[in-house]
Amino acid sequence: MIELKDISYSYEGEMALRDINLTIDRGEAIVLLGANGSGKSTLLKLLNGIISPDKGTYQWNGQEITAKMLQKPAFAKQFHQKIGFVFQNSDTQLFCATVYDEIAFGPRQMGMDEPQVKERVEDCLALLGLGGFEERQPYHLSGGEKRKIAIACVLALNPEVLVLDEPMNGLDPRTVRFLSELLVRLNDAGKTLITSTHRLELVREISSRAVLFQENHSIAADRHTSEILGDIELLKQTNLVDEYYHAP
Amino acid sequence: MTLRSEQHGKSMPRWMLADEDYVPATDKDSFVNRSILGLMEVLSLVRSQSSRAADRFSASAPVKVLGTLLLVVLTAMTRSEIFLITVITYLLLQLSVMRAGEISSVLKLSFGAAAFTAILLLPAVFLIEGYSPVRICAKLFATVMAVNLLSRTTRWDHIAGALKYVRIPDLFIFVLDSTIKYILLLGEFSLEQLQALKLRSVGKNRSKYTALSGVAGTLFLRSVEMAEEMHSAMECRGFTGEYRVIQTVRFGTADILHLTIHIGLLVFFIFLSRG
Amino acid sequence: MHIPDHYLSPSTCAVMGAAMIPVWTVSVRKVKEELSKIKLPQLGIGASFSFLMMMFNVPLPGGTTGHAVGGTLLAILLGPYAACISVTVALMLQALLFGDGGILAFGANCFNMAFVLPFLGHLMYRFVKERVKTPRGEYAAVILGSYFGLVVASLCAAVEFGIQPLLFTDASGQPLYCPYPLSVSIPAMVIPHMLVAGVVEVLFTVFIFTFLKKTAPGAFYQSGKKTKAIYGLLAGLICLTPLGLLATGTAWGEWGTAEIQDVVTGGTSLGFIPEGMANGFSFEALMPDYSVTGLPEVFGYVLSALLGVAILIIVFKLISGVVKAPRQHQI
Repeated sequence: MIELKDISYSYEGEMALRDINLTIDRGEAIVLLGANGSGKSTLLKLLNGIISPDKGTYQWNGQEITAKMLQKPAFAKQFHQKIGFVFQNSDTQLFCATVYDEIAFGPRQMGMDEPQVKERVEDCLALLGLGGFEERQPYHLSGGEKRKIAIACVLALNPEVLVLDEPMNGLDPRTVRFLSELLVRLNDAGKTLITSTHRLELVREISSRAVLFQENHSIAADRHTSEILGDIELLKQTNLVDEYYHAP
Repeated sequence: MTLRSEQHGKSMPRWMLADEDYVPATDKDSFVNRSILGLMEVLSLVRSQSSRAADRFSASAPVKVLGTLLLVVLTAMTRSEIFLITVITYLLLQLSVMRAGEISSVLKLSFGAAAFTAILLLPAVFLIEGYSPVRICAKLFATVMAVNLLSRTTRWDHIAGALKYVRIPDLFIFVLDSTIKYILLLGEFSLEQLQALKLRSVGKNRSKYTALSGVAGTLFLRSVEMAEEMHSAMECRGFTGEYRVIQTVRFGTADILHLTIHIGLLVFFIFLSRG
Repeated sequence: MHIPDHYLSPSTCAVMGAAMIPVWTVSVRKVKEELSKIKLPQLGIGASFSFLMMMFNVPLPGGTTGHAVGGTLLAILLGPYAACISVTVALMLQALLFGDGGILAFGANCFNMAFVLPFLGHLMYRFVKERVKTPRGEYAAVILGSYFGLVVASLCAAVEFGIQPLLFTDASGQPLYCPYPLSVSIPAMVIPHMLVAGVVEVLFTVFIFTFLKKTAPGAFYQSGKKTKAIYGLLAGLICLTPLGLLATGTAWGEWGTAEIQDVVTGGTSLGFIPEGMANGFSFEALMPDYSVTGLPEVFGYVLSALLGVAILIIVFKLISGVVKAPRQHQI
């Protein structure tokens, strides 16, 4: 479904992605691992069409995604409906006055009538355990609540692929568990899941395959999650764990 | 390969289990893209100036700032074509030692300003017999180029500090300096927000103004928050309310050269206006 | 609404700058009173907010975009004095660092956008809001304040433009700066602002105001004393002047063209483009006749050589820059 071939990208003279080759099939649950600055976020932005590669090709269901194509509004809109992105910074994702409006934004754009929109908003809020939050103001919610609302907004579009950039950052343990379970359920329901993180605790639960980035912005390994988590030397090399780490 | 969840029978909403068959309606919402592009240009300008090292061959900031201001004033006052051409030659010579990318962006701005003015003044050519807008266009070309040369070859905090020599109070300089930093921080925030807006704008947006006001309103709230945080941080470091701008200025050969050229231009200007 | 350089004479610029000095001084003093000295860095936040706001493209019908200034909005949120300083700093940055032009015109631009716009807008807002104490009344206040603030500011700009050809002409009567007299500049500037830019400003202000009223009602500036009726009257009169001037605009026109009728035709003047070439800009004509200015010919040759060298280097660099693979655009 998604095919990246020889992708390279640099920003203001600095290399951010180097010779990335990656194939992701429909329904997979993969995780991007790597230290800060290794290129995970950049790759996620590329997958969502926010940036375009300097070299290499990005194929989506056999069709090449280029900057030119994304400049066509009809194509871009359809593309953005199919692949949803949860940003690392939830603050930037929320720009409406009420939670209801925030989640309703996507469905309304898609031309649904209000009863349909209401159904979606209620369903998404229930899924995230935030029933009753409709009239609250996104800006004043706690970090965990904001993250959940951000996810709800993206789910309301019903994308095929869900991309999450460090979704567990700054969340308390209970919320982390809740979100992990939700991600599993979403994957069961057929959504392709691409998550990036540098925290190893729940990686095994939310993915079956892990792509490991190294500090030179290229891919070090692309294997079954448990295999990668078991390769302690590799984890140390890529700065995911320190030299005193022992497998749990 | 999908995972098996150990959980419960809570079912997902029906609509989530099927693919959307969605074909978007067309909508004219270029305002998001244009805002994004505009912001990106600004942010890249701000970022590029912070890594500028003081060049050995470059004059010091106060000399450059005063020189540029003098140049702008003289250009505004001159009625002599030859003075204008001399100024433009001098500026183009300065421009020619810069990198291709910088050259093209400065030229774009200068020609753009001149062309825009030419269009604005075109009706006057028909209204007034014998009128020519070429002089104003040339002056604008020169002025925009001079200012851009200054801002692209000097660190902005140095430029702000140099304003002290034009008798601008320290408080304003401090505000100017912090504004530049905030533009970067808040600008990046807004940029990401506009990108998030764009990604969720999957169809016809019947409430564009509401969306834009959400972005601007959230920007305001964020800026209020940042102000509070900065204020607390400054207090914690013993700040008591005094703003003093300290500039260490080294005077070198480049400065003497720079000054000589500008004094020369001034003399030339005076000579031409008497002649 | 930004006035570029070279449209206003240096003396006009100096006068407008001088007019702003008391405004700035009072604003700084007032802001210092209202915020403790330590909180003054917050002005930087206001300025960056003002700067970024001016950058947003605001959607207009037909898919085009425009820009708003947001001066009245700032005054409602931060108070008119803080708004004045914020817009001033934002304009300074635009002119000096982002090379937008408007260095000499800085005083005039500040007068229009950092003084007239926020103060008049805020005055109207307070006046209406205090007398119509309903939620609808507040919205009306925001609409009237932002609309008239912008329209009157545009009128000021139009006047600054329009007096140039009356006051500043050269020996042959050609206008040195803005060539449009008041009869042209006033309708040309005020009407588009009344019909388009004003509406954009109102929409921009009202929507953001609504958003913030919902999400952060405490963030608004609370002004002290109630406005006196006389100020409201004054503000109202000021707001009606654009209409009055437009109606009587033709009367001003005669004054401008009278001078123009005296323009000497058929003569040559120092290096200016001769009559009859008004419809075409001949490049050769830019190079003056050296002997007239009394300079030795050598100087002319050296100058053109330097100019040629500079242009060649620039062209060469640009071409080699283009030959490299172009980067794809980012969204």
